[in-house]
Amino acid sequence: MSPSSRYHFLRNLTSDTWHFLRSPGLVAVTSVVLILLLLFIVFPIGAVLVKSFTVNFPTVTIISKNNLSSKTESEKRVTQTILTALKPLEGVEEIRPTTTEKSSVVIIRFRKVWDDMRGLNDAKRALKKEDEKISPYVEKIDFKLGQETIKSFATYISFFSKRYYYEALRNSIILAITTTVLVVCISFCFAYLGLKGPGIIRGPLRLLGLLPLIAPPFIFALSLIVIGGRKGILTKAFMLPFHIYGWPGVIIAQVITFLPLGYLMIENVLRSLDPNLDDAASDMGASEIDIFFKITVPLAAPGILKAALLVFIMSIADFGNPMLIGGGVPFLATKAYFLWISESNLEMSAVFCVFLVIPSMIIFIIHEYILKGKMYTTIGGKPQQTEKRKISLKIFSPMMAVATPVSLMIVFCFGIIFVGAFTKILMIDNRFTLEHFESPNGIRSLMTSLRFAFSAAILAPIVGVTLSYILVRRRIPFKRVLEFVALLGFAVPGTVMGVGYIIFFNSPPLKLTGTFAIMVINEAFRNLSVGLEAGVSKLHQIDIAIEEAAIDMGASSFRTFTRIVLPLISSALVAGFVYTFMVGMIAVSAVIFLISPGNHLASLYILNVAEEGFLGMACAISVMLIIVVLACLGTLKLLARYTKSTFF
Amino acid sequence: MAGGNGSIILELRNITKRFGDLVAVNDVSFSVERGKLVTFVGPSGCGKTTLLRTVSGFAEPDQGEVVLDGQNVTKKPPNARDTAMVFQNYALFPHMTVAQNIGFGMRIRKKAKREIDQEVNRLLTLVKMEGLGERRPHELSGGQQQRVALARALSLNPKILLLDEPLSNLDANLRINMREEIRKLQRRLGLTIIFVTHDQEEAMSISDLLVVMDQGVVKQVGSPTEVYEKPADEFVANFVGHINFFIGEVKTLSNDDINLQIPQGNLQVKKPPFPVSIGESVKLVVRPESIDIVDAGKELIGIENIIEGHIEVAMYIGSIIRYTMRAGNQIIYVDKADPQHFGIFQEGCRVKLILKKEIHMFKA
Repeated sequence: MSPSSRYHFLRNLTSDTWHFLRSPGLVAVTSVVLILLLLFIVFPIGAVLVKSFTVNFPTVTIISKNNLSSKTESEKRVTQTILTALKPLEGVEEIRPTTTEKSSVVIIRFRKVWDDMRGLNDAKRALKKEDEKISPYVEKIDFKLGQETIKSFATYISFFSKRYYYEALRNSIILAITTTVLVVCISFCFAYLGLKGPGIIRGPLRLLGLLPLIAPPFIFALSLIVIGGRKGILTKAFMLPFHIYGWPGVIIAQVITFLPLGYLMIENVLRSLDPNLDDAASDMGASEIDIFFKITVPLAAPGILKAALLVFIMSIADFGNPMLIGGGVPFLATKAYFLWISESNLEMSAVFCVFLVIPSMIIFIIHEYILKGKMYTTIGGKPQQTEKRKISLKIFSPMMAVATPVSLMIVFCFGIIFVGAFTKILMIDNRFTLEHFESPNGIRSLMTSLRFAFSAAILAPIVGVTLSYILVRRRIPFKRVLEFVALLGFAVPGTVMGVGYIIFFNSPPLKLTGTFAIMVINEAFRNLSVGLEAGVSKLHQIDIAIEEAAIDMGASSFRTFTRIVLPLISSALVAGFVYTFMVGMIAVSAVIFLISPGNHLASLYILNVAEEGFLGMACAISVMLIIVVLACLGTLKLLARYTKSTFF
Repeated sequence: MAGGNGSIILELRNITKRFGDLVAVNDVSFSVERGKLVTFVGPSGCGKTTLLRTVSGFAEPDQGEVVLDGQNVTKKPPNARDTAMVFQNYALFPHMTVAQNIGFGMRIRKKAKREIDQEVNRLLTLVKMEGLGERRPHELSGGQQQRVALARALSLNPKILLLDEPLSNLDANLRINMREEIRKLQRRLGLTIIFVTHDQEEAMSISDLLVVMDQGVVKQVGSPTEVYEKPADEFVANFVGHINFFIGEVKTLSNDDINLQIPQGNLQVKKPPFPVSIGESVKLVVRPESIDIVDAGKELIGIENIIEGHIEVAMYIGSIIRYTMRAGNQIIYVDKADPQHFGIFQEGCRVKLILKKEIHMFKA
């Protein structure tokens, strides 16, 4: 920073701070939001980072009460004997004795992976042998199990030294790259054909490109298992010697899951390209192939890159698909879960989270701060009455060759879920049945999901939109930092937020794990950014003069907000609500760490029953979940239309 | 192949183009001579751009033929036609530099790099953009973008240059400069240009030939003077400049003259080029600037075609003053040049108007 720019920065900062402090209401609201952000986003993520650098060692402490008269005597008669006795002990890292006149305390620190119960028994046995030597001087001996926490890179070192750990990182990156490349290519074909293809295929392609949006994110993994799992219908029918678990399954499932994301972004880019450019190129003698490679692709490139980065993040963070269909291939997100749930190795889990966060953060920063605005949005002025150019067969046929099998796959996957839900056991007992729907646990979990998604969807937009108002309309210091933190909750993979919450909220004074509230808070703060971004863009559209007019008419700041601003940005609240609700209904990755026995969610219940092999039930609950989501969205849409016609 | 100046380079034969129920271009035929600047002019939606696009090949006509330099190119795609277009929004490729934009067509034709560079530099000089070849389109002003678009279109030595409302995105002063430059360039290089505009003044000032269109139909093809002085019908007369209409009934006929009765009196005018008979109605077209105006008190002896009335509005525009006159039930516009010199009649003042003997007319 040059001296003058530093001066300006400081001057702005002081003036912003001064403005800020003059309005006590603003200070209060901002403080509350800030505390919430710190508490529910920053600290948990920080906790993960801290945890990844700590190592816990099991310890056994021996406390002996001595009846000796001096410290030297104690030392000589008891402490030394204990130390000699402990010499042959296995797994010891360090022994630390302390002696006073009346007592000898010996702390034994075992190796990290040492079984502390074994260490305890070994120590007891060792002392028994020397019992007669010390018993005259000892009144009582106690053994205590404990832990010692030490800051170290040990967990990182063991991460990189064991294939068992580091291959998850390698796998996740390979998976993310593969998925990204495939999603980008396929969604480009969908988007291109959907815009420029022959009229009859445009509608269906658009529909199919967006269809996976309404499904729980792992539903394709589920249907792939029904189709090609160990007892899958294709595997059985053709007696295939292989099944879909592992790499092929995860890749296919992820590609279909993330297709809508890629499709929406790339379609948007292609739509924004000026058709006159195609015409101009063609006028200069370019063939359709020339136009495609020299005009369309380079112009769409920044947008395609953006889409690719997002898909990459989503793929790395994805939990449901690798969980269901990963078939033992380790990936970062799922492995982080298993390390915690089955090995209780929260430190290694935290290290996994760090490796989950790093690529996401890099990409998030590239995406938000470097690529922002780097788009060739070329449409401007009046729309030209251009005729749609006829798509060249040389472009059409290869794209169709990509789009057709993928389309069929999507339809097939959806179909299988519905058929599976109403069939006793697909391909074995093909009788119609409703029994899969009669699962009390399933219905209970569905109700919990509704309650969960609804609560989170109320909370998230309120905080998000309030923050957007503070950020856009008020002069506050460190704006960018505040905004970055809010977006962080969205950018950081759910698994990381899950692990972070477990670490941070597992001890007093904030012992919240196991409660319903913590699940809701987690989900809400991970989805702040939707309300925030909607609010910011809405507020930018609303002329500040409207608010100034209200203040001019004598309204207070608070009144202005409730009477003028709130009605105007209600659409941002609704957007935040709808998004958070939808995402909440199908949430998996973070909440799986936070669920408690009474609070099972439908999406997780589907995972459970699918893993246990009750595919029919999994399909049935998925169908119910889809229907509930669609019904809620439909109601909301009607409601919106109704309120619009009466209030606005 | 036909050659030489004055020969026909483009012929449109019975072109019809429909969009659904809308007939955008309806049975249009005319031809364009080599080295001329032809303007398609008409209100928006009149089909001029569509007609241009059938020439460039972006729109295939439903009926009719496009003959370019003796060749029927109706079915040929744009990239196989010797035409080059400058788009209304210039359609510069945003991901290429100015030089790359201009060289695009030559690169597609796989010309040698050195040749392309030379040609690009020549074109940059031609459009007065030397030294700006490495800029990106978004770093240029509207006028500069326009020049690049022009250079790009010229890069392939097209048989016809097609300009689709090329000046409509520029501000007023720049528009006049650019149109003069285009005209000079066209003269200097002997280019054949089809120019599309909705601005009649622009069209009049720049063209050798005007094609006035309305609702998909060509209303008149002629030089600017012809179109202005002898509009083919009411639409054309209204479209180019201000106009006064008088309905007259033929009273008497002589060898050269006819006598007409109009509501404000009698007019003795030259016989029109079409046959008329007594009792027939004709529509007279009188431009505001071709009417003389004198004080009502002035004695006019031996002068025919006088209409009396009073001034309702006198609008001072600087170079001219425009009077809105009332004579009987009719409003008559009169433009008087150099008002500083001739003086100004006040509003409400009674005046006499003198019409010329040569008045353009068509059958009512």
